[in-house]
Amino acid sequence: MKPRHLLQNFAMPLALAGICTFFALRESAFLGPRNLTQLIVEFSITGTLALGMLLILLTGQIDLSAGSGVGLIGGIAAVLVFQHGWPAPVAMLIALVVAVILWTLMGALIVRERIPSFIITLGGLLIFKGLFWLVIQNSTVPVARGDQDNLYSQLTTFYLPGSVGLAIAGGIVATLGVLTWRGRQARLAHGLTVPSPRQAVARWLGTALGVIGLVAVCNQFRGVPLSLLIFGSTAGIVYFLTQHTPFGRYLYAIGGNEEAAVLSGIAVNRVLIGAYLLMGVTVALTGFMTTAYSGASTTTVGDLMELDAIAACVIGGTALRGGRGTVGGVIFGALIMTALLNGMTLLAVSPEIKFIARGAVLTIAVWLDVVLGRAKNQG
Amino acid sequence: MAPLLAAHALTKRFAGVVALNGVDFELRPGEIHAVCGENGAGKSTLIKLLAGIHPYGSYEGELLVDGRLAAFHSVRNAEAAGIAVITQEFALVDELSVAENIFLGRAPRSGLRVDWPEMHRRAAALLADFGLTISPDAPVRTLGIGQKQLLEIVRAMDKQTRVLVLDEPTAALTGQEVAVLLEHLRRLRTQGTACIYISHKLDEVFAIADRVTVLRDGASITTLDTTAATLPLVIKHMVGREIADLFPKRRAPVRALSSSAGGAPALLEVSHLNVAPARGAPPFLCDVSFALRAGEVLGVGGLMGAGRTELLMNLFGAWGHRLGGEVRVNGAPHAAPTPRESIARGLVLVTEDRKRYGLVLEQSVGFNLSLSHLHAFTHTGRIDLPAEQVRNQHFFDSLRVKAPGQHARVGGLSGGNQQKVVLGKALMTEPTVVLLDEPTRGIDVGAKLEVYELINRLTEEGKGVLLVSSELPELMGMSDRIIMLAAGRIGGEFPRAEFSQEALLAAAMKRAAAA
Repeated sequence: MKPRHLLQNFAMPLALAGICTFFALRESAFLGPRNLTQLIVEFSITGTLALGMLLILLTGQIDLSAGSGVGLIGGIAAVLVFQHGWPAPVAMLIALVVAVILWTLMGALIVRERIPSFIITLGGLLIFKGLFWLVIQNSTVPVARGDQDNLYSQLTTFYLPGSVGLAIAGGIVATLGVLTWRGRQARLAHGLTVPSPRQAVARWLGTALGVIGLVAVCNQFRGVPLSLLIFGSTAGIVYFLTQHTPFGRYLYAIGGNEEAAVLSGIAVNRVLIGAYLLMGVTVALTGFMTTAYSGASTTTVGDLMELDAIAACVIGGTALRGGRGTVGGVIFGALIMTALLNGMTLLAVSPEIKFIARGAVLTIAVWLDVVLGRAKNQG
Repeated sequence: MAPLLAAHALTKRFAGVVALNGVDFELRPGEIHAVCGENGAGKSTLIKLLAGIHPYGSYEGELLVDGRLAAFHSVRNAEAAGIAVITQEFALVDELSVAENIFLGRAPRSGLRVDWPEMHRRAAALLADFGLTISPDAPVRTLGIGQKQLLEIVRAMDKQTRVLVLDEPTAALTGQEVAVLLEHLRRLRTQGTACIYISHKLDEVFAIADRVTVLRDGASITTLDTTAATLPLVIKHMVGREIADLFPKRRAPVRALSSSAGGAPALLEVSHLNVAPARGAPPFLCDVSFALRAGEVLGVGGLMGAGRTELLMNLFGAWGHRLGGEVRVNGAPHAAPTPRESIARGLVLVTEDRKRYGLVLEQSVGFNLSLSHLHAFTHTGRIDLPAEQVRNQHFFDSLRVKAPGQHARVGGLSGGNQQKVVLGKALMTEPTVVLLDEPTRGIDVGAKLEVYELINRLTEEGKGVLLVSSELPELMGMSDRIIMLAAGRIGGEFPRAEFSQEALLAAAMKRAAAA
């Protein structure tokens, strides 16, 4: 591999390591279990929304309404719980259904009426913002009554007991092992080549170490945060969708060449509406988590989150014109964004500088990607 | 006479692959010099070196202009040296007018403002000079593909160009347009402009070129005077073997149209089809009727704009609004279909414009091959990736796609290999009716032969093929029957025994002249 290619493939891990080293040197608490756990919760919130955004960006569309939507959907659930005394699961289910309906409607408007998604979701951004403030009446609506905990309030405060976390990690490692084994058998049955057993085992062991290590770090503090579990499940589902289903292939095909996708017999409209529907689900999940993280629904919840999600995708190598992007990339992108914000908060950096730093990182990441990508294309 | 442009031992490597291997080339002033070679022979790379796209220093050997070393670092350098390259990809801005495109980046000015009347006047003069009846104010997006190509040439001719490099300039042109183009090249030759002419159409090469250089596998094989060379000789040098017949005789028994006992069943029946470009628009295709039978190749000819592509696109469900008439596929009604429904019923379309309509260029060969057929590998919502890979490999091998593997990015392949991928995608759906729109456009002799063999194989399997081609020899060589479209109507139908260029052309012109 040429140094340039190496740099491109490892640019994200290197950038992440650089950011973490910088903050760790300035403030040793950055890598402490308490802060890492907090970082993981924040990452899970941003990351979940970014995963939904990935599905939209892959098709070459965009969703600017996600941030307002996060506020609105979290607000609806909070109002139902706090002001109407509904059980949290029911309130969240209703809010989730609202999100799915709203996003499906936006998707339908975009594909049936051929209105650019930029316009429709910009309209959504403003409308949802207004609806949000109407719903919470510009006040602060806690996610639980009094000191009672409920599912909603615990989304970002509940930690799995250490043993449960380890059990889940064990389950994941075992499942990965079985899946790897089965995949090998299937390829062999079709007469295809497989990586050597040593390579396969090494990869599996590496992943196992990562998963168990992550749980061990969390257990140093209070255990695996529930929100990480939510993010992890979402990531698993989105990974499966993009890599193993026709739906996922069609997302890439539509983003790569929509006209060719239509002529290849892909039901483009249905796929696009499906992508927006799933975006609605991730908006709802993020809405619940981020509102729970602030403890209450207030007018600023969700502000600019759509841009963080887009930034995470783009830093992770997703192309805004569509057709390119992976779950792995988005995870790195979200980690970089979150580590940066978390670190700056820890160092008590002023909000002004935080905005500027986020913008600079986004710009540099895309610029690097473009420059390195160009070098790659020219061999 | 000193060469205007000379290349000595040009060698260009891409990540271990040798694209050019010691190419020598020489262009004299005022000569038309053809470069021929199969896909992957190195023609595109050579052009990119001449055009400054592969900058000086990225290759070995030397390039001389007027006997002096030319070190082009960019396209701008090459243009300053008087070398203009017209590629197969249009460098036109669709939303701007014809005049604005001709003077893109160098509009006539009065003071700081663009001098619109002057631009209009000069554009009109240039177009008239070229025998084109396009309005200078027409938006380029309203032009046909052939007109766009001519416009590109008009634009290059207006620049101070000493060496005009034309890459497949006639791939999309009709016979008349080709004649106009060649006439202008001859005129330019008398004015001292030299031309490097890259074309797969060897009859054109012999009609226009003074000399021809053959490339094969990145090496310059020979340079011949066209007066001394023969067509078979050039082909032999190109492929490195002799090709006896340009249109391999169909080995399939002609099951079509046999009058005995009803003959072969009709796979596709079209009766009195009327189609408008959009709801409420006047009809564009009028009263089109024909039947396609199993094992038959039905050729569809006609001049540009006669409605050939539109007919295919409409049958497939990708264009137009049907006003009347009936279409049946395998006996079942096929009214207002979507492409998805067409594919499900066994009707596939291989489009003329493969980059725009056929391929997801950024994705791999395998991704594209299976794109229309994923459901076949999907069980309980999950793609069986190994099964898909095996199926893809089967098509990859049987179509002889030249690529490092099915993981290769399809955008990096040559035109002929891209075309094979588009064909493979269509054939994987196991169709009974295959609509082919200019399947050999812009691909080389060897790849053309493979496409013809493929058509033969399809008919042997009892499929029906609707073949649109603007090259009459190809149409006559491959079809069992030909219908000629003229201004959206059927101008004539010919069984194989009655094929002749004169009769077919007369049918194509019939209504056009009347209209």
